[in-house]
Amino acid sequence: MKRSFSPVAVGVAPVLLALLVTSLIIIIAGAQPLEVFLAIINGSFGTAIKISDTFVVWVSLAICSAGLLVTFRAGQWNIGVEGQIVLGAIGAVWATRLFEGGAPALVISTMLLLGMIAGALWGVLVGLLKIYGGVNEIFGGLGLNFVATSMTIYLISGPWKPEGTSSVSASKLLPNEIWLPTLEGLRVSPVSIVLALIVIVLVFLALRGTIWGLELKAVGQNDRSAFVLGVPTQRILLSAYTVCGICAGLVGAILVAGVRHQLVVNISAGYGFFSILIVLLSGFTAVWSPLIAFFFAALGIGGTALRLGLDLDSSLSGVLQGVLVVSFELVQGIRQKWFGGDN
Amino acid sequence: MKVTLSHIHKRFGAVHANNDISINVEGGTIFGLLGENGAGKSTLMKVLSGFFAADSGEIKLNDQVVSLSSPADALEKGIGMLHQDPLDVPPMRLLENFMMGVRGFLQPRRTAESSFRELCQAFDFDLDPHAFVHDLSVGERQQLEIVRLLWLGVETLILDEPTTGISAPQKEKLFATLHQLAADGKSIIFVSHKLEDVEVLCSEVAVLRQGVLVGQQNAPIDPAGLVKMMFVQEVNLEERLNVDLGSTFLQVQDATMSDLRLKMEGVTLDVKAGEVIGLAGLEGSGQQLLMQACAGLHRIDKGAIVVGGQTLSGRPYQEWLNAGVAFMPADRMAEGLVPGLSIAEHHVLTRYRRDQEQDKKTIDWPLFRKHSQEKITEFNIKGFVDSTVESLSGGNQQRALLSLLPKKLRLLIMEHPTRGLDIESVLYIWGKLLKRRQDGTAIIFSSADLDEVFQYSDRIVVCFGGQITAVLNTSETSVEQLGYLIAGKQPPADLREENV
Amino acid sequence: MKKINVSVVLVLLMAWLAACTGGGEVSTPPEEAAEETVVEEPVEEEAMEEEAMEEEAMEEEAMEEEAMEEEASGEPYTIGLVMVGPRDDRGWNQAHWEGMEYVLENVPNTELVWFDKLNPADNPDLTVEQVVDDLVAQGAEFIITNSAEMADGTNIAAANHPDVFFIHASGDDALTGDAPANVSNVMGQMEFGKMIAGCAAAMASETGQIAYLGPLIDAETRRLVNSSYLGALHCWETVRGNDPADLDFEVVWIGFWFNIPGVTLDPTQVVNDFIDGGADVVISGIDTTEAVVVSGQRAAAGDNVFAVPYDFTGACEEAPDICLGVPYFNWGPDYVRLIEAAMNDSWSQEWIWSPPDWTDINNPDTSAIGWVSGNGLSADAQTAIDDLVAGLADGSLNLYTGPLNYQDGTEFVADGATASDDQIWYTEQLLEGIEGVSE
Ligand SMILES: Nc1ncnc2c1ncn2[C@@H]1O[C@H](COP(=O)(O)OP(=O)(O)OP(=O)(O)O)[C@@H](O)[C@H]1O
Ligand SMILES: [Mg+2]
Repeated sequence: MKRSFSPVAVGVAPVLLALLVTSLIIIIAGAQPLEVFLAIINGSFGTAIKISDTFVVWVSLAICSAGLLVTFRAGQWNIGVEGQIVLGAIGAVWATRLFEGGAPALVISTMLLLGMIAGALWGVLVGLLKIYGGVNEIFGGLGLNFVATSMTIYLISGPWKPEGTSSVSASKLLPNEIWLPTLEGLRVSPVSIVLALIVIVLVFLALRGTIWGLELKAVGQNDRSAFVLGVPTQRILLSAYTVCGICAGLVGAILVAGVRHQLVVNISAGYGFFSILIVLLSGFTAVWSPLIAFFFAALGIGGTALRLGLDLDSSLSGVLQGVLVVSFELVQGIRQKWFGGDN
Repeated sequence: MKVTLSHIHKRFGAVHANNDISINVEGGTIFGLLGENGAGKSTLMKVLSGFFAADSGEIKLNDQVVSLSSPADALEKGIGMLHQDPLDVPPMRLLENFMMGVRGFLQPRRTAESSFRELCQAFDFDLDPHAFVHDLSVGERQQLEIVRLLWLGVETLILDEPTTGISAPQKEKLFATLHQLAADGKSIIFVSHKLEDVEVLCSEVAVLRQGVLVGQQNAPIDPAGLVKMMFVQEVNLEERLNVDLGSTFLQVQDATMSDLRLKMEGVTLDVKAGEVIGLAGLEGSGQQLLMQACAGLHRIDKGAIVVGGQTLSGRPYQEWLNAGVAFMPADRMAEGLVPGLSIAEHHVLTRYRRDQEQDKKTIDWPLFRKHSQEKITEFNIKGFVDSTVESLSGGNQQRALLSLLPKKLRLLIMEHPTRGLDIESVLYIWGKLLKRRQDGTAIIFSSADLDEVFQYSDRIVVCFGGQITAVLNTSETSVEQLGYLIAGKQPPADLREENV
Repeated sequence: MKKINVSVVLVLLMAWLAACTGGGEVSTPPEEAAEETVVEEPVEEEAMEEEAMEEEAMEEEAMEEEAMEEEASGEPYTIGLVMVGPRDDRGWNQAHWEGMEYVLENVPNTELVWFDKLNPADNPDLTVEQVVDDLVAQGAEFIITNSAEMADGTNIAAANHPDVFFIHASGDDALTGDAPANVSNVMGQMEFGKMIAGCAAAMASETGQIAYLGPLIDAETRRLVNSSYLGALHCWETVRGNDPADLDFEVVWIGFWFNIPGVTLDPTQVVNDFIDGGADVVISGIDTTEAVVVSGQRAAAGDNVFAVPYDFTGACEEAPDICLGVPYFNWGPDYVRLIEAAMNDSWSQEWIWSPPDWTDINNPDTSAIGWVSGNGLSADAQTAIDDLVAGLADGSLNLYTGPLNYQDGTEFVADGATASDDQIWYTEQLLEGIEGVSE
């Protein structure tokens, strides 16, 4: 894996390149690049509400990429992270049904807890399929993502169909009391930010200073050697999936408890996939991925401003994200090809 | 092709791996390159084969200055290298691997296959073109690479320690071929630690020490002088200690074991505590399978393996480790060391799980760095606690692997334990290993070097075609006799009478 | 690991793109047609009166408009439209889009800000609240959201912005009391449109095999399937004089309102299967246009097949020659009424289940639903439809007349009786005679 570069040095060049390329695209699309970039910045930081919305997205991306750092460290492409988020959301809604009318603090805690358990189970399933079924984790994960979406649709059109409506597109809206408490007038919940920070710090410490973190790395780099040296590689792999599943499940639960307040189709919103890109961009580092996650969150929130303010398609900010990723790969590749030392 | 390297410099951070090296290899000659572990031999050859770019210096081919931007580029210009540690191979078949690097797309498979078979026959290599590369042993991968490079028609052939995985009869064939190739005008650079190989093969020898070219000799070669150049001080053979053998520690009872290529049936073997068993045989005759089974890394199909009174066959690998069994693979970067991890990190890993000398879940880095530093000094590893293992030279990787062996050890199983080590280190390492016998540690090892087998084992087990064909007491056997057995033939009657 | 990077990123992006191909979302009227709510059912005379009045009003308006333009008085009134799918989907969303264009033409000094594709496939990370915030920041004083799944989000946003008025099209929270006072609901009575669709299908079919491309199963979608079936049965039996037993009416539910690859059935595949199985008319109940598009392709390849799309007046344009016609929504008039009420400070919360104007179901100014015949419709069929509409209009015909049984044989409407609105609303199963699952 690529760990040999400093993200600062390699971080700036791709951003510049991406800005350049997107500017060109914007000009072709018939707009002023500067205006577009300002609109994005304004759309993500312009008002307190916008800033808080950016943080709402950041929480999901940051927790999710923290989890993915763990599976990546073990050499696993946990594409199934989307499904693990969805399962977390399902678990959280399930908790509200089990404890309907319970004390809010109790219900919210069980939501988070069940969400994490459900996400972990879904993650472990990918690992089990890989270890015992020989199913590559990418395909296993993709498959389980589909299953998770199907489960959502089944639940909201079946057992969890809200009473009193004939049309089905989401489960019942949760009562106000069991929403994660937000800051006055804003949509971001301090609880979720604190949770995100805790997860980031824990993952950082675990990867850096524990035997487990080192064993993950060994398994990721060469599982055969690790095995011969006495590392129980299968257990370590499963533990990586468990931890990532817990993180993803937590994201799902926060999306239910703090953002959507109901189960909707595709509640994971592609955050899992974005987080994979984020972790790649961060060079698999626990320090950089939360920052890059913030950048992505801002781009996502700012993107909607384009369509309203400038009548451009909001997918332009998606283009920006895409170009950014490609530029990064390019700069990285060029660096390795022309200036690379190792091997 | 005439190859000239002038004033080559190559640094890796603080390490000056090649320091102003100039050598000249005439077409039609075999050039030997010697030096202790970490002297910079592989680095120099990688520069010549386009793998590394030199920091400064010049490469001339037939007096033309060239720049080699990549291995493929070098290959195009006629330079091919057989690497010391066969590089990562994708899961492909031998024939596909064989055809890699062919210029032009439309290379018919059938002609490739027949050339492949011809070449293999010429060297007596037993390679199945339809097998998968990753199932091969290290020695077999080297064989594959040799035939591939020859087929590609390289003008300059670099062999970085090619003889470690090749048995004596195969080695003879290889040497004959090399002489033939040299006679055809090709230039050959031969990197080795084995003076006797260099002696019979090379017309000129250069010695590196700590990145510097310290001397050159023309044939006839004076081995003692070379050793002096390499190590400064003289190297002495240690007295072989005689150890009283203990009770039986390992029992292989009528076991059947098989992998994709080989099936061994009815294997029976007893090993006593403190005993050293040398496995001899052509590459791929079953030694590898047998050792992996005895180490708990390969599940046997039938029979039983009893270790220290416990039947461990079929049990998880961790139990074997707990019983004091350790394994040292030939393919050290694939089965022994974890690329990307530093020496210190390796020590953390092994001490926590395998040796259970540490039960905290967090890592006390200062302690482990200190511990690793001690091991680095003890095993004379050229490297630092934070050096990743892939940045070590081949011989130093082997030392790192040895330094990881646990303290509590009852049975040590090693494939080619001194592969790539320089003479001095071989002696030093064997000294350390043999001392463990006094504590009752049994050793099973395989080696392509019959001298090594004779030198260190109490008994020799000969494998041929998936069968144990002979178990011999070393003291009652001759090298010649063993040569016949390895090749699958019965020694002539007169030999038998003489020795048995 | 390095090597796998690029390819995995590609896989990711492809998966992501695949996930983004979904369309819009059709939502539905409320289930509880509570008695206290007066469903607008203008009697003919009233309607005539209204029409006359409106004509006058329009003339006046036209004069006013000029006057106002001259005055250039005041800020324009800004209306926000939030659509679930693309505004040019030739379906549900385009119907709303044209409804808004109608508003802009008919209510002076108004302007539009809009946001489309707010759905879990295209913009999964956006909530209604966020989009409404943005629209309000753009000056919107009146906001329309057009999908059932936006119900809760609309209510929350409305609570956050008590000064802004909302229409949640197709919802029922104004009826159940879940919505704040600044939210009203509007929905057209599509049952009648579907009856016409069924009739057109039965008139066109030679094999007697009619296929219905259903979304997911709920009371509303069952109701629309049943209505189509009753329309088909009526024209098959009474107009064409065929044996009802020879009518083969099949539903396949794809599982959601639009195609989600890997999750729902692929509507393209389903329609092809219909046609391969002998069906020669496909009625669409989903949001997107696969039924008419695929039928058009198959017809071009020589199959004898027709289609009835859904939602939008212009839906036939995808394949005009094999299109029998389309039952569509006409949102404009109801929007105009509610927006003007808000502008004149005469807003009151309403739940509107808006019927067709029986005098002319295609009157753009009065009828909430309508039917446009397509090129594929024969003259006979047109006559049958005209008769059906006339019968429904004067009350001489009620297709929900017994005896009608559910699929499992239980009685739905007794012999001679007619179904009440409630009964229709709470349709529990498909009717006997329809092939396909009810749950
Ligand atoms: N990729 C690398 N990064 C950092 N240091 C390296 C790298 N490759 C080699 N070195 C260092 O350069 C020195 C020379 O290494 P080299 O592999 O050339 O030795 P060698 O003569 O081939 O030894 P051996 O006989 O053990 O194979 C060693 O100290 C080694 O640690
Ligand atoms: Mg070397």
